[in-house]
Amino acid sequence: MATVTYDQATRYYPGSDTPAVDRLDIQIRDGEFLVLVGPSGCGKSTSLRMLAGLEEVDEGAIRIGDRDVTKLAPRERDIAMVFQSYALYPHMTVAQNMGFALELAKVPKAERLERVRAAAKILDLEPYLGRKPKALSGGQRQRVAMGRAIVRQPQVFLMDEPLSNLDAKLRVSTRSQIAALQKRLNVTTVYVTHDQVEAMTMGDRVAVLKDGLLQQCDTPLNLYQRPANAFVAGFIGSPAMNIREFHLVDGHARIGAVDVALSRAEVAALSRQDARSVLLGFRPESVELVGPGAGFPVTVRLVEELGADAYLYGAIEGTPESGEPDLVARIDPAAPPRVGETVHVRVKAGKEHAFSPKTGLRLT
Amino acid sequence: MAIQVEAPPAAEPRRRPEPRQLTRRERRQRRRPLLPALVFAIVLTQLPFVATLYYSTQRYNLLRPETRKFVGLSNYGRVFTDDLFRNAVLNTVKLTVTVVLLCALFGTALAVLLDKKFLGRSIVRTLLITPFLVMPAAAALVWKTSMLNPVFGIVNWVLSPFGAGQTDWTSRYPMTSIILVLTWQWTPFFMLIILAGLQSQSPEVLEAAKTDGATGGQTFRRVTMPHLRQFIELATVLGTIFILQTFDAIFMITQGGPGQATTNLPYFIYQQAFRAFNAGEAAAAGVITVVATIVFATFALRLVSGLFTTEVL
Ligand SMILES: Nc1ncnc2c1ncn2[C@@H]1O[C@H](COP(=O)(O)OP(=O)(O)OP(=O)(O)O)[C@@H](O)[C@H]1O
Ligand SMILES: [Mg+2]
Repeated sequence: MATVTYDQATRYYPGSDTPAVDRLDIQIRDGEFLVLVGPSGCGKSTSLRMLAGLEEVDEGAIRIGDRDVTKLAPRERDIAMVFQSYALYPHMTVAQNMGFALELAKVPKAERLERVRAAAKILDLEPYLGRKPKALSGGQRQRVAMGRAIVRQPQVFLMDEPLSNLDAKLRVSTRSQIAALQKRLNVTTVYVTHDQVEAMTMGDRVAVLKDGLLQQCDTPLNLYQRPANAFVAGFIGSPAMNIREFHLVDGHARIGAVDVALSRAEVAALSRQDARSVLLGFRPESVELVGPGAGFPVTVRLVEELGADAYLYGAIEGTPESGEPDLVARIDPAAPPRVGETVHVRVKAGKEHAFSPKTGLRLT
Repeated sequence: MAIQVEAPPAAEPRRRPEPRQLTRRERRQRRRPLLPALVFAIVLTQLPFVATLYYSTQRYNLLRPETRKFVGLSNYGRVFTDDLFRNAVLNTVKLTVTVVLLCALFGTALAVLLDKKFLGRSIVRTLLITPFLVMPAAAALVWKTSMLNPVFGIVNWVLSPFGAGQTDWTSRYPMTSIILVLTWQWTPFFMLIILAGLQSQSPEVLEAAKTDGATGGQTFRRVTMPHLRQFIELATVLGTIFILQTFDAIFMITQGGPGQATTNLPYFIYQQAFRAFNAGEAAAAGVITVVATIVFATFALRLVSGLFTTEVL
């Protein structure tokens, strides 16, 4: 068990002038479950593979515990990796797959069998120990891949989208099993996913990447409540946060025909940047319907009813017509408005997020 | 209010239903589209074979066709007791086994080399495949005249710093020379099949082995080799069938000599038919060769049939 430190770690792929991972700086605590999340191609897998030793680190350093592993081969790093395709050894049985690393490490046979059996028991794999991987279902293969990692008792677990080949239902149950298993084994874990729900539910902390740059690394709750910039705000949460640029009029944001007050600190920050507008974000659940006269008017374009919730997609009246709905709001499913109707909505006090229109960074 | 759920009646243990039998009509209909191909194959491959079978029961001297007559199986008897035939069988086995082993060895080594990235890889790959593309007769001629020639051959010139004088390779070491030429010619074939095997291996499996703590050698032995095994087997079976039939190189380089030192089965048959003009015995030897090859190929193909039935994970 150990801490993991990315210290300004950078990776340029050969033949590319822009780094796939740019000065990544994360400190992961002992036993922590860190999730790397971001859109496709943002450098999640690359970051993980740098830690595994499968990808070179061109600048900066990576440390496991106090050991600088930047230049070490994968086998000298004491890490175990779970691959998206599982990468099981096709000609070995489940037991041999799980015991291979121990065999290479010259663990005595009796102990090896014992550890394989223990891991198989945790993962419900005992009936399959004698089978070859191709005789297993996808979910069972996934568990074998997990088993191969946990028998190692390594310093760090690395997982690259281990659930993406499972069906939706199995993914949800396996998700909680992995999180529980990690808590029980208390092994530092770096987990890559592009699914923000997985990220939010599993991680002690979540690191959001975009174009190889770390956007924010924080607990799921902080990420949700205080996103550091407009990208994180839009990426975390489903349906996504409403983020629009509004004109600034006397320290107010003009939404449609209505002026909405901004806090004094926000106004001060905007004027320091000499901005004429503001990026305002509010989550669908931070919007409430009010009677006429209050809030701003919205034309209903679509109502999505999900049973427990309903979502309203609408256009803010008074803004130039844009193709997509301007606003998504969570509403009471008992009395949904009709399409085409005009409703009045208001953002709940203190629930708006203001970002700089120039840098996208959070203002306060 | 409690909900009563009735227990399902104790069912008989379910048994897998018998697979449905096709009716005769269905079976005939399913086969009909294959018929043209079958007829074509029979005409092309089986008619010459039937003709050979027929000749093998005749005493048939090509110089005196009028003396041709039916002699039953006595040609076979003669062939089996013929020392020259036995010598040819022995030479064929020696030649084939040695060449196949060497080809498998060099083929694997070169395939592993070509699987790595390095500057000029595609040029090297093309060069390595060339021997396979050169016409066997032309290649044999080049080997005989410009490589192995005792006076101005390149082999002697290269070896001269090591004290090789004017060795006449083809007469002093005839079998070695033939083995050398055939190995040169067939290694690319083995290499290509094994390279295809290497490149079909999932890179993630290799990475998994790396993170599991395997060194390069351990990864090759424990992970790559089991994957390659079926490819090597396939190359071996096909290679054996081809090398068994070698004729050009022997005809061009040694004429089966000196004496009978390099006479293999195909060359023996040729000698019988066109030197001794004994078409009957030649046909009998040919039939024996074909039967032996079929027996070998059937067993060997069964060995590698795993390649075609199991999907590669
Ligand atoms: N072997 C490679 N050679 C060159 N460029 C690469 C290579 N692998 C990845 N890249 C580039 O590096 C960037 C980051 O790739 P990476 O695989 O880390 O993305 P990712 O975040 O894992 O995406 P995904 O969610 O789709 O798996 C991408 O722009 C990709 O095109
Ligand atoms: Mg990836």
